[in-house]
Amino acid sequence: MTTSVARAARRNRWAVPALVLALVAVPFVLGTFEVSLATTALIFAVLAMSLDLLVGYTGLVSLGHAAFFGFGGYVAAYTAIHLTGNLLVVLPVVAAGTALLAVVLGFLALRTTGVYFLMLTLAFGQMLFGLAVKWTPVTGGSDGLAGVPAPFVGIGPMSYAFTGRVRFYYLVVVAVLALGWFLIRVVGSPFGHALVGIKDNEERLASLGYDTWRYKMAAYVLAGVVAGVVGALFVFFNRHAAPENLFWVVSGEVLLMVIIGGAGTMYGPALGAVLVRLFESYVSSYTDRWQTLLGLLFVAFVLFAPGGIVGVIRRRRNRGRAPG
Amino acid sequence: MDPRTTTSKREEGRRTTPRGVSRRTFIKSAGILAGTVAAGPLLSACGAIGGGGGTSGPLKIGLLLPYSDIYAVLGESITDAMKMYFEGIGNEVGGRTIEIIAEDTQLKPDIGLEKARKLVEQDEVDLVAGVVSSGVAVGLRDYFHENKKLLIIANAGANVLTRAKKSPYIFRTSFSNWQPNWPLGGWAYENVAKKVFVSAPDYGAGHDMVSGFLNSFQAMGGEIVAEPQFTPFPQMGDPAPFITEIQQAKPDMVYCFYSGGAAVTFVKAYGEFGLTGDIPLVCAGFTVEEDVLPSEGDAALGAKSGLHWALQLDNPTNNAFTAAYKDKTGKDANVFAMQGYDTARVIAESLNAVEGNTSDVDQLIGAIEAVEFPSPRGTFKFDPATHNVINNVYVRDVQNVDGELHNVVIDDLGEFADPGDDSKG
Amino acid sequence: MDQLLPQLVNGLVLGLLLFLIAAGFSLIFGLMDVINLAHGSFLLFGGYVGLTVIRSTGNFWLAVAVVPLVTGAVGLAIEVTVLRRTYTRGHLIQVLLTLGLALIAADLMRWNWGAYVESVDAPAALAGLVDFGGVFQVPLYRLAIIGFGLLLAGAMWVVLERTRLGAIVRAGVQDREMVAALGIDIDKVVAGVFALGTALAGLSGLLAAPVTSLYPGLDFDFLILALVVVVVGGMGSLKGAFWGALLVGMTDVLGKAYFPEFSLFAIFLIMAIVLLVRPQGLFGTREAT
Repeated sequence: MTTSVARAARRNRWAVPALVLALVAVPFVLGTFEVSLATTALIFAVLAMSLDLLVGYTGLVSLGHAAFFGFGGYVAAYTAIHLTGNLLVVLPVVAAGTALLAVVLGFLALRTTGVYFLMLTLAFGQMLFGLAVKWTPVTGGSDGLAGVPAPFVGIGPMSYAFTGRVRFYYLVVVAVLALGWFLIRVVGSPFGHALVGIKDNEERLASLGYDTWRYKMAAYVLAGVVAGVVGALFVFFNRHAAPENLFWVVSGEVLLMVIIGGAGTMYGPALGAVLVRLFESYVSSYTDRWQTLLGLLFVAFVLFAPGGIVGVIRRRRNRGRAPG
Repeated sequence: MDPRTTTSKREEGRRTTPRGVSRRTFIKSAGILAGTVAAGPLLSACGAIGGGGGTSGPLKIGLLLPYSDIYAVLGESITDAMKMYFEGIGNEVGGRTIEIIAEDTQLKPDIGLEKARKLVEQDEVDLVAGVVSSGVAVGLRDYFHENKKLLIIANAGANVLTRAKKSPYIFRTSFSNWQPNWPLGGWAYENVAKKVFVSAPDYGAGHDMVSGFLNSFQAMGGEIVAEPQFTPFPQMGDPAPFITEIQQAKPDMVYCFYSGGAAVTFVKAYGEFGLTGDIPLVCAGFTVEEDVLPSEGDAALGAKSGLHWALQLDNPTNNAFTAAYKDKTGKDANVFAMQGYDTARVIAESLNAVEGNTSDVDQLIGAIEAVEFPSPRGTFKFDPATHNVINNVYVRDVQNVDGELHNVVIDDLGEFADPGDDSKG
Repeated sequence: MDQLLPQLVNGLVLGLLLFLIAAGFSLIFGLMDVINLAHGSFLLFGGYVGLTVIRSTGNFWLAVAVVPLVTGAVGLAIEVTVLRRTYTRGHLIQVLLTLGLALIAADLMRWNWGAYVESVDAPAALAGLVDFGGVFQVPLYRLAIIGFGLLLAGAMWVVLERTRLGAIVRAGVQDREMVAALGIDIDKVVAGVFALGTALAGLSGLLAAPVTSLYPGLDFDFLILALVVVVVGGMGSLKGAFWGALLVGMTDVLGKAYFPEFSLFAIFLIMAIVLLVRPQGLFGTREAT
């Protein structure tokens, strides 16, 4: 066991620098469209990772994660249009706003578990969607908020604007690596282990003296804030905050990404998100039946590879290494 | 639960801790990244949106339409009619062969934008046409405007695209939501009743349509008997409470706008509760258009609607168009197909005028502005001030013609251009 | 003019329509402990099969007979081939599997029946209006829905509470070996329950069709309504599904009539309130996990 971990670590030593180099290289080797595809895929990768914190680690299956993604986007759009597009202002506002939302919703939703939790998160998401469509003076109604200015950082002449596809892509790469790294640190920390404990057996953990409700709330808020921040990036990329970003279908799609990639692995959902986005983008150009294909793929994973892509890779590796 | 699965799951949980990634490797990689970002300006040339525009080779037309989801019928109708027109002219304009690349936008603005980037940047299309949903159109607007790429909207009617958010690079061959409704408001006051009850879905198009209708109706002295009824969008759910409210308000006339599934739901319930024939129904044409009329059945009888076209509008171009469409698809044409047909013709006429050269965008814009031809709807021409089509508005009446329900034209209200601002609703 | 009385009738109609929509879901969860997110797909599928039968024969009642057989058979096939593999693996797997099936079904149904809105006419015997003292009128078919709903509720109550089937299935889900030791093939019983639940869903879809019409996306509208109803009422409780449906129906109708500003989220609001006061739902005895 020890040797295999060491071997895995040795093999993975170059994984992160290789990933970073690959991400950096994208604009040099691929066209502008692929850069935009990579941008949204990365955004969804972090969104899926943040949901994994709830689904895969804490055992809270939410069908309302789009609420934070969309809400963060609206807060960013509103702030950028009416105040400033300075990310040093916008992102803290988004983080504070989504944290507040998550505390309020979590206070209510975390009273329930299982399917009830799933339904309650769905209900909150749909209520926010309804609010976005109705509250036209603030949200722009069904057309959403268009004309979001390009984001920038800095003050006065010392500022740097993320205009253009490539600059924005690198902004997203930095944000994605930072948030991804942060989430991976979180699940590797004692806090993360406590979450897994809650998922496996909440009562046992409570009997050990853990205030499990607080842990769940912290995970819920954390996941919400990360989703809100990438939601803001998504809106800055599209320059448009749309109510559809809050719709439950988005929540369902992110859940799909988590499961296909492998819940409870962090890397898996990120991979799942990238694959699903690419699948949707390329397959839908060739066939109108892409939803059937995606559904079949999903069902196949659920039935035959519940550990997702990462689970399959691990099983194969372990089998390869097993002494003959 | 199988104990073995539990163990392997726990093992998985442990393996997820990022032992392979030390903080130092991470910082090192982040450093590389930061260096590249600093070099970002050097790359900006590489980030500029290229593609599109040419003088030879196939003429690539990108289509952004919904092919899945609830508006798939609209996407298919527009596509069929466009292809039909292009086939009719030998698939060639300005000396270039036509190549159509169609992409499914669903109804999601972000997917629409992603597909637009694909068409413009990867497929390098000469121009893009389509767009059914106003939400998608509003989301696309800045992309086309800022990158100076041509977009010809074949349906989405949001007023704002012809007003505060109009762009020299965006044309609209369909309608603004104001267009069919403002003329109808005055007509209804003079010909149907002076007191109205208003019902529409609670989203952008619903509000656009209602304010256009009420602006002229109230200016003439018409009254509303209750606050306008705005129903939940996208799903109305059970229509009974809304119909009951109308029944109890006892208005002399009902004005409504609904489309697709909501139109069938609303109009059918209107009939079931006995309102059809009892309280006259006046509506924006989409409510009783050919795509939903067969499903609405007799409940739609007698509904008066304003629109820029009707299946049985009698002119040579329309007769040829509707016959050819039925021949090709086996279905009756609808207003969306007609818009697709005209969109194709706008492309053909303007491309012929510039002899297939799309590299000079301003020249092409000028050619599109100058397009004028006999269309199934009457004479087709753009308003150069807004790039929105000038529509002839007809009043249609749902009648039973030889056992089939059709919108029979009973009045011709003349030509209307969108005012270009919110002064008239 | 006061509209309260007619709106209460509308609320009753919608309540029982919602009970029809939720019944199959509630039955399958109550007896099998399976959360079937493809439930809405079976409803819409039933509606479409009914449409095809009515189009070709013009007979609504023939469709009423055919539809449950078809949707029940499809349900049986799904239970035997895929669903059966998930019973020991927890709710999450079932939720995801049936969600995947629902995605596939939605696409295939749109492919086969198209994206046009299809309306289904009420049978001639149930067409027309019923007049309530000249004050208001209600379509006869809508009143018939009250009858269908009560009939179904009664039949389900008899089967579950007065026959051995309910006891056998519930015992089987708890303890397979014990029931098997009694000489009962529990696999067959469970498969039968799923077929029954999906047959019921198909029939409900057909009965709802004259009111809702049929269109792509209706499957998920149905599903969400069914979920709201059973969550409000308490998962797996027949009584809960019944009273939950009435509460949700009344809330929706009265919300639309008196608070149109909030009509889009009235039913979600009532669900949130119920769950906050009673996390297990009105009549739920346990929390679903």
